[in-house]
Amino acid sequence: MPRKTRPVAIVGVGQTRHSSHREDVNQPELIHEAVRRAIDDAGVSLDDIDAVVTGNMEMFEGTHQPDMWQVLGNGAWGKPCLRVSTGGTTGATVFGAADNLVASGLHDVVLAIGFEKQQEGHTTGGITAMADPLWARHLQTGALTGMAALEVIDEFGHERARRAAMRYRVIMDQHAAKNPNAHRRFNLSFDMIDDLMQKSPPLVGELRLIHMCSQSDGAGAMIFASAERAAAINRRPPVWVQDHVTVHREETLSLSGVPTYDAHGKLETTTQRRAAEILFARNGIARPSEEIDVFEMYDPSAWWGLSWIRDFLLLEGDEHLQMVERGDIAIEGRFPINPSGGVTATNPIGATALLRPLEAALQIRGDAGAHQVPRTVRKALASGFGGTLWTVLMLLSKEKPDA
Amino acid sequence: MPPKPLSEELIHREHMARFPQRWSTGPVMGKFLKALRDEKRIMANVCPRCGRSQVPPREVCAVCRVAATQFEEVGPAGTLRNFDVVYYASPDPVTGQSREVPYATAYVELDGAKGGATFWHELHETDMTKLRRGLRVRAVFEEDGKRTGAITDIKYFEIIEGEA
Amino acid sequence: MQGMCWEVVQHVVRATGVDLAGEDVGAVVSNSDDFFDCRTISDSAITDVVGAHFKCEEKVAQDGAQAVYYGYANVASGSSDVVLVAGHSKESQVGDRNLITHAAFDPFYTRPVGLDYLAAAALQADAFLRRFGITDADLARLVCQQRAKAARNPLANERTPLSPADVAASPMLADPLREAYVYPPSDGAVAMILASEDRARHLTDKPVWITGLGSSIDSFFLGDRDLSESASLRQAAGRAYRMANIGQPRTAFDVCELSDPYAHQLPLWAWQLGLTEDPRQWLSGDLARFNPSGGSLAGTPQVVSGLARTAEAVLQLRNEAGERQIPGAKRALAHGTTGPAGQQHCVVVLET
Repeated sequence: MPRKTRPVAIVGVGQTRHSSHREDVNQPELIHEAVRRAIDDAGVSLDDIDAVVTGNMEMFEGTHQPDMWQVLGNGAWGKPCLRVSTGGTTGATVFGAADNLVASGLHDVVLAIGFEKQQEGHTTGGITAMADPLWARHLQTGALTGMAALEVIDEFGHERARRAAMRYRVIMDQHAAKNPNAHRRFNLSFDMIDDLMQKSPPLVGELRLIHMCSQSDGAGAMIFASAERAAAINRRPPVWVQDHVTVHREETLSLSGVPTYDAHGKLETTTQRRAAEILFARNGIARPSEEIDVFEMYDPSAWWGLSWIRDFLLLEGDEHLQMVERGDIAIEGRFPINPSGGVTATNPIGATALLRPLEAALQIRGDAGAHQVPRTVRKALASGFGGTLWTVLMLLSKEKPDA
Repeated sequence: MPPKPLSEELIHREHMARFPQRWSTGPVMGKFLKALRDEKRIMANVCPRCGRSQVPPREVCAVCRVAATQFEEVGPAGTLRNFDVVYYASPDPVTGQSREVPYATAYVELDGAKGGATFWHELHETDMTKLRRGLRVRAVFEEDGKRTGAITDIKYFEIIEGEA
Repeated sequence: MQGMCWEVVQHVVRATGVDLAGEDVGAVVSNSDDFFDCRTISDSAITDVVGAHFKCEEKVAQDGAQAVYYGYANVASGSSDVVLVAGHSKESQVGDRNLITHAAFDPFYTRPVGLDYLAAAALQADAFLRRFGITDADLARLVCQQRAKAARNPLANERTPLSPADVAASPMLADPLREAYVYPPSDGAVAMILASEDRARHLTDKPVWITGLGSSIDSFFLGDRDLSESASLRQAAGRAYRMANIGQPRTAFDVCELSDPYAHQLPLWAWQLGLTEDPRQWLSGDLARFNPSGGSLAGTPQVVSGLARTAEAVLQLRNEAGERQIPGAKRALAHGTTGPAGQQHCVVVLET
């Protein structure tokens, strides 16, 4: 059972305004904006940073080994600089790597950066290039699939499922409206649901345009520190990284939703559910929907967002649909999800999975402004998604975890 | 943040990057592709530990972490386990061309495949209302002389009429 | 790609007896490059062969020595007691690797003038050779020596010995770099298992300890750097030596495995690592302990180079280096580099 060598705190965060075309900056400049904001937020200088971790999906911008060029804007000059890259989960892997680097004792203060300038490349082309060139590339159309919708519809019925997915989407948009950094805000309201269900152009199956995440330019930065350095820095209340877990999966198995079994004969589940099982078990959380105060979930589409509520919170039956139907997931609700607006509103892929714990950290600090949940946030959950249905699940805490 | 001038001409640079590629198929994938080209057979490999089939075949069984070395023919017919009806076809970034929409892609559990593995390919059908999980489908191969040892040696899958 | 990676993973699995299907290995750190693989998220292609199905895998997208550094952090952080590090790259799959490294240059200033890593290395070679009066003949002699070492290494890519005449006839690719001074396009994979002290002793009776790590990155624009030296290598070395408590690097190491995709980089790195004071003189000295494997020059894909050099150093310290063994090796230096003309460096100190 893993036991963290020493506690790690988040002492500063910064993000850019996310948009479809940040044409006013080039890549290093975009990164610099987020870095500058994180540095200012923490009240430190670049000299205080011992190491940098960065990540993005380089096929999007078409720059090979982009960390070489990014040194112009990311503050890594003269320092150790690690680049990790795991597709959509990249930002979360960056988070995990920074956590590991500080916990290891190798460095005391680490700057973590995730960014993407989607508009500088061809996003769908970039995602299609992830398919195996021998047997899948001719078929893949970016990250679009209607199968998630099909499964929810098969289980809960055509009308109820579609209504719940659209309701989820509207709630996300209402949250985005309160987040000045969010990319897309459509001013959706519940009375538009019927219309949207009919009129939003279908992309694949029941996955409609309105359900789908955006393609954004943006960057996020977070500063991680040892407990000692956090105490010295102390400009904003530290947010503690309690735990993080990564679950990948092989690229072809069970993508169709047909159940398969592991080597021990156990039914293979989703990586979302497995990550949740591991994380909650080792942190003594028996009822996540009651013990977690806010969840920033990486929801690439409203259908997945809806479906994964059940997996992540270890629920059964239609509890997750009920949560959405009752409005529990709204900012002022019983279990707020994505007060930032989530990924359907904002998606600079290399940053997106870092923005989730970043937003979760703001919630714990009480700093999220108009999209702050109106309660004391002690424990926040954040998730990353990417690759071939991979998950990274992160747990942040207001109180310092016991050693 | 420093103030920006009110009107600023932003210069953009456009560039098309091309990278010629030549992929080795290796012995495992190579066997699969050869069987398509030379024999019109679909080959899966089987895990010696859990008995699961993989198609297209992969070097190892991801679940058992052992090499899957035995090959077995599967298909050419199978059952449709899941599918997508695509209304938006992303244009090819190089040619600008898109597939004609709507088109359908399918996850097919090929006859003889064990453990639930499904094979992903195109489903050829113009009446999308016909599609549902559980339909019987079969692979349609490219003609002799036109198959090259690529996944597209299977042109598509089609619904087997009359087999509900 | 998968087959190549599986081969090396199987090797370390058999050697240590870990069960990839069970809980023995807590995490995988992979090392590869999307551009060289011509595939977005190329690690999704090897999830199964590294045993990461429903497990943790994190990809380091830089030279493989950085994967050793991050693998270490994984273990030292307490998040995993045992980590599998697996690097792989197939340069034969890209039509022209210069096109790939050309894409590493920024689209505004440096890409339009046609720079790639070969050109950058040539600019560096010119500055360095000129500074110390190192001649083409000196370099040719070095290459022949290194190739002779590669001939004794069954794992080396290019094992044909070269004569000075062969080298002189070798065409100039980018002055002063002849074809013989540049590593051949290479395919390769490397795997290693890192473990905490507790677990190490269960997995092997010959553990090799990582006692020093240091990494640093230089400026991007070549003109911002003095190409005849390497500030980032000195910084990385300093960090590694401090961590390993090494006061005098010149006498500290029995074996040095440095990443030298270009021949001139061996004396350049050796000098900036503090292993010699005078690179010109160093060239005429006893170079037996420097890249006894033949080094990256003999053909290691650049993405996994630092991981391969680390693996070679480990073999030396375990006394398993066969014909190329340096007898009685107890402490080794391994090194990797990423970026144009060695913009970034990672230094690893290993001891038994």
